[in-house]
Amino acid sequence: MDGPFLLTTIWLLPLLTAGCSLPVARQNLRALRAIALTGNGMNLLLIVWLTVRFMTAAAAAGTGEDAAGNWLYFAAQTPWFTALHIDYHIGVDAISVLMMLLTGIVIFCGILASWHLAQQAKEFFILLNILVAGVYGVFVSFDLFVFFLFYEVAVLPMYLLIGLWGTGRKEYSAMKLTLMLVAGSALILVGILALYFASGLFTFDLLRLSRTALPLALQTWVFPLIFVGFGVLGALFPFHTWSPDGHASAPTAVSMLHAGVLMKLGGYGCLRMAIFLMPEGAQLWLPFFMILITINVLYGAFGAIRQTDLKYITAYSSVSHCGLVLFGMAAMTWAGLKGAVLQMISHGLMTALFFCLIGMIYGRTHTREIKEMGGLMKVMPFLCVSFVIAGLAGLGLPGLSGFVAEFTVFFGAWANPDPMARLCTVLAILSIVVTAVYVVRTANTVVGGPLRQSFAELKDASLVEKIPVGILVFCLFAMGLAPGWIITLLNGAIAPIFNNLHR
Amino acid sequence: MQLPALPAHLLILPDIGLIVLTMLVLAADLTMPVRWRRQAVTLLAGLGLLTLVLVLWLLPYDVDRIFVGGFRVTGFALLWKQVFVLSALCTVLLARPYFVAGGTRRRLMGNHGEFHALILVCTLGMCVVVSAVDLLTLFVGMEMATIPMYVLSAYLKGDDLSAEAATKFIIMGSLSTGLMLFGYSFLYGAAGSLHFQQILAAAQANPDAPLLMLGIFFVLAGIGFKLTLVPFHMWAPDVYEGAPTPVTALLAISSKATGAVFLALLLYGPLAPLHATLKPVLLLLAAITMTVGNLGALQQKNLRRFMAYSSISQAGYILLALTGERHLALTALVFYFLVYAAANYTVFFIISIVGQKQDENFSALRGLGANHPVLAATLMLAAFSLAGMPPLAGFLGKFLLFAAAAQQGYYLMVAFAALNSTISLYYYLLLLKEAYIVAPESQPPVLSLDLVQKVSLAVLTLGMILPACLPRMVEAISVVCGR
Repeated sequence: MDGPFLLTTIWLLPLLTAGCSLPVARQNLRALRAIALTGNGMNLLLIVWLTVRFMTAAAAAGTGEDAAGNWLYFAAQTPWFTALHIDYHIGVDAISVLMMLLTGIVIFCGILASWHLAQQAKEFFILLNILVAGVYGVFVSFDLFVFFLFYEVAVLPMYLLIGLWGTGRKEYSAMKLTLMLVAGSALILVGILALYFASGLFTFDLLRLSRTALPLALQTWVFPLIFVGFGVLGALFPFHTWSPDGHASAPTAVSMLHAGVLMKLGGYGCLRMAIFLMPEGAQLWLPFFMILITINVLYGAFGAIRQTDLKYITAYSSVSHCGLVLFGMAAMTWAGLKGAVLQMISHGLMTALFFCLIGMIYGRTHTREIKEMGGLMKVMPFLCVSFVIAGLAGLGLPGLSGFVAEFTVFFGAWANPDPMARLCTVLAILSIVVTAVYVVRTANTVVGGPLRQSFAELKDASLVEKIPVGILVFCLFAMGLAPGWIITLLNGAIAPIFNNLHR
Repeated sequence: MQLPALPAHLLILPDIGLIVLTMLVLAADLTMPVRWRRQAVTLLAGLGLLTLVLVLWLLPYDVDRIFVGGFRVTGFALLWKQVFVLSALCTVLLARPYFVAGGTRRRLMGNHGEFHALILVCTLGMCVVVSAVDLLTLFVGMEMATIPMYVLSAYLKGDDLSAEAATKFIIMGSLSTGLMLFGYSFLYGAAGSLHFQQILAAAQANPDAPLLMLGIFFVLAGIGFKLTLVPFHMWAPDVYEGAPTPVTALLAISSKATGAVFLALLLYGPLAPLHATLKPVLLLLAAITMTVGNLGALQQKNLRRFMAYSSISQAGYILLALTGERHLALTALVFYFLVYAAANYTVFFIISIVGQKQDENFSALRGLGANHPVLAATLMLAAFSLAGMPPLAGFLGKFLLFAAAAQQGYYLMVAFAALNSTISLYYYLLLLKEAYIVAPESQPPVLSLDLVQKVSLAVLTLGMILPACLPRMVEAISVVCGR
């Protein structure tokens, strides 16, 4: 299978999966689950194959840092709307491949985690598949229009996924989330149109735009539009308010996918579209955004301390950790950019595990209030150990993925000699302490202490539940213990962005 | 597959066809036995319009020809005739259940012969508007398109709302006609002729002539009524709510399209030299219109009234595109109306289906997601298409409209419009909320769809999806509009 065809297959396969479940009867839950799992399992295998092929190709090409622009692999450009110069332009670099791998793992685990969902399961899996098709599409597209199209496809199904299958104030949360994200994408749309018309190039081609030094006046006002537009999804302060409500109300698989992957689309967009295309604008604006992002990191962590609902705690910690993604970018150093990508992957795995476990615990205790829990270790050791591992990854314990990512981010941020950046870095590093406080406290309350009488009969995870948890825990360790290949792989993808930034 | 194009002297065939069809419908209504009358009339009108669509597809789009001195048929005009004829066809299909007992909760409509004849006459009027080369033809076409609407909106005899709607519509409509005529008289005064070319020459010679400006001011006010631009939109919610649902659909699509193309014809035709001067006014009107429409839609409970506000806000986006450069603006306009019509008719079909046993309110949608998943999914697609969300055709339509304005550098205005459409997403999501999330208070009635409704909805759904995936449609429209 040639490369571009493989990429197209990867985003089409979820749609085909959704299509396959259309004729299945609504009551036939077994078949619906089987279809969703098979489709996404096959897709995961395809992505693994893609990763292997990519690594082989990248190794053959050396570091891929040469200026010939061949850092984009498996690329293909087919005219789509010729009147508007819109092309179906796809390809991958290391960032895309790794993010696709993350997506594949998270959605596979997500489907297993929602194995027992019975209410309108058909619609649920169809919407989930459409969403994930959008996510894959974003990672492979290198045409701004196509990028934006997939981006919206990934955002929209969220409304029904949360509104219909969610808990708590689900209607409110679903509406808030959708509207804030779409308002963000309205800004992106204006930015894209400006890049098309005002650049004088009349192209949506990301590569062509990246090779052109756009006028500074244009960059000055388009950069914040696109950065904030994607920043909304990346939970940039003060546009993060959709995140706690949305994540807390969403059903398990959706929280996993949303916090694990979708929020990364924000970071990915900031990196790929805002910073890469408008480096001078980035130099101008990112120091200011850095202050907002520092607030993000700290506020998210302090917010998590105040919460008593497990999902809210995780949601606020997501705000803090996604802040670190943007923080790495805002540092504009080699290590900072690399750390940002590492943090995307690490946080994706970690938060997916968190939400997965919370879903399972909630399914047993029927409460997410940590005050009403305690001593769960005695009845569900597997879930609790995994919970603690996720928490430790969050506070950056060496040996787990969080350490690799956070260390690289802070290292990269400190490498920026600007005094303001240094100050922000020091403040942001403090967030680790705060993170430790809420992680340890939460874990302690939930896992340790006396067991409630009403929880004495609860069972540990079943096999179907152990698989996704096992996969995610394995990935956390794998990335923490052997991050070398990821870091090497990223060199080729960071180089063009870094070189653009310092041209 | 390329079908052979029909010869150029047949370019007037669609218009003649409409006249013939009108007479045939009336004749059938008079001569057919009562038992078959309804079916015969509907069948005749439906098949006739379908034939006209086919004829329109087969005509050559690269010819510019003037018939009998004042009836100009261009590729651009043919595109609009397609919009109008397709829209009329949808209305005929939509109206079927409203004549049959059990088809609607509201009062039944009678006199199907006249009903269909009026729709056809109205469509003919719209076809005349796009073929006009002078103000007189334009005026006649516009009136022909409007007067049947007065009658149609009063079609539920004895229904208070319908009567109120028609009364308001007539008063407001006559006022707008008066204003427009007043404006024409100034244009005539400035140019000494009603012909577009003479007006263009006068405008080029002296673009700052106060008479011209005064004329345009009144014409704009007059067309503001048709296009439901704020502050001339007040009639729309009441009329949309009171009129029978198929008539509301015709008003929301064909009538609005006529207003838009009327404005486009003037702005890119005889008044082109003044276009630059008018842009600030157009931008202001667009901004107010979309905002008022969007805010108004937030609080609605009645679906027809809701669609009125939704269509007011759409008029704002359309007006935004009219500030653009000719080629892109016209392409955007045609494409937008085609996909907007598909999405709108889908919603109206669903309204008519849920309205079988309940009032056409938001609450009638409850339980749709659980009991009629396919219908609910169709509604979802239509709502997202109307809100301009990818990957549906509505997105590409809105993208083109915004692009037309962005090309002129009105980025701030585009940002305003894009954020405005976020507000519109809110109320379109309310539709979905009712259909999917809110639990019905009582067991919702079982809805029945007949074959025609199923086929229509399927075709309309394709119309919401395919134009965004297959580039051919945009390309073809772009080529025709570029001439």
